[in-house]
Amino acid sequence: MRVSRSHDAIVLEFAEGEAGVLRSLIDQYLEVVSADAGSDPALPRLFPLAYSDDQDAADEFAQYTRTGLVDRKASNAAQVSLALDEETVRLTLAETERWLPLLTDLRLVIADRIGILVDSDAIPETPAGEVYEWLGRLQGSMIDLLEEP
Amino acid sequence: MQRMAVVAQLVERWLVVPDAAGSSPVGRPQNSHAEVSASSTSVPDVDEATSRESLVAPDVPWVTIVWNDPVNLMSYVSHVFRGYFGFSREESERLMMLVHTEGRAVVATGPREEMERHTEAMHEFGLWATVAKADD
Repeated sequence: MRVSRSHDAIVLEFAEGEAGVLRSLIDQYLEVVSADAGSDPALPRLFPLAYSDDQDAADEFAQYTRTGLVDRKASNAAQVSLALDEETVRLTLAETERWLPLLTDLRLVIADRIGILVDSDAIPETPAGEVYEWLGRLQGSMIDLLEEP
Repeated sequence: MQRMAVVAQLVERWLVVPDAAGSSPVGRPQNSHAEVSASSTSVPDVDEATSRESLVAPDVPWVTIVWNDPVNLMSYVSHVFRGYFGFSREESERLMMLVHTEGRAVVATGPREEMERHTEAMHEFGLWATVAKADD
């Protein structure tokens, strides 16, 4: 994977198989993000309680915001997936911004699966741990290029 | 990243837990595909939130708090603060470092409904945010 900037475009050059992995992760993410509340332990990371000491207020917040958040997270993920047909992906800066929350959400779900709960938790040397780190490198590279003056 | 090709086979469906996968057709919003092109600029529907807050005194200050989490990159947290709140690079970095070192930072103060709107936006960015009364 190589990430570079050319004027107002961010260019992603995926190694063989990488775009396919990302597509597969997004397909699975679409199932996770729209699963019923309480059915997946990663959901509280994607949709945190909005009130830490008031369950009623947190429930009410979820009632009013959950559907919209699910819709927007899912449609954003679907849009990103559409761009992954090629191994070289050219994105506008605005499109690149839309990748960032998805990459974070993918890492939040994987963090649940591999047991990363606090800062000191080690990333396991497993395929899942490797994908988690790869997603972080992709996101970090994109942010560095977006933050360039 | 040669190994990613191998990983491609290994990761198949490990992200979805069996229960969640089984229930997803029910929980999935029916319009999730229809809104693909219009979604990124859509504004959260706060009409109901606004009306239910109308009995609360408007001058009581509330805050939006962002909490440390072990997943998000420091550069991402700072990038979100800068892009969403319009803070300067320095202020975004300062707040991000507060989140990182103190575990939390107040990123906005104001009416409750506005703090809820910010919190919803932070959740859309994948950050851990909560609403609280300013003096809590």
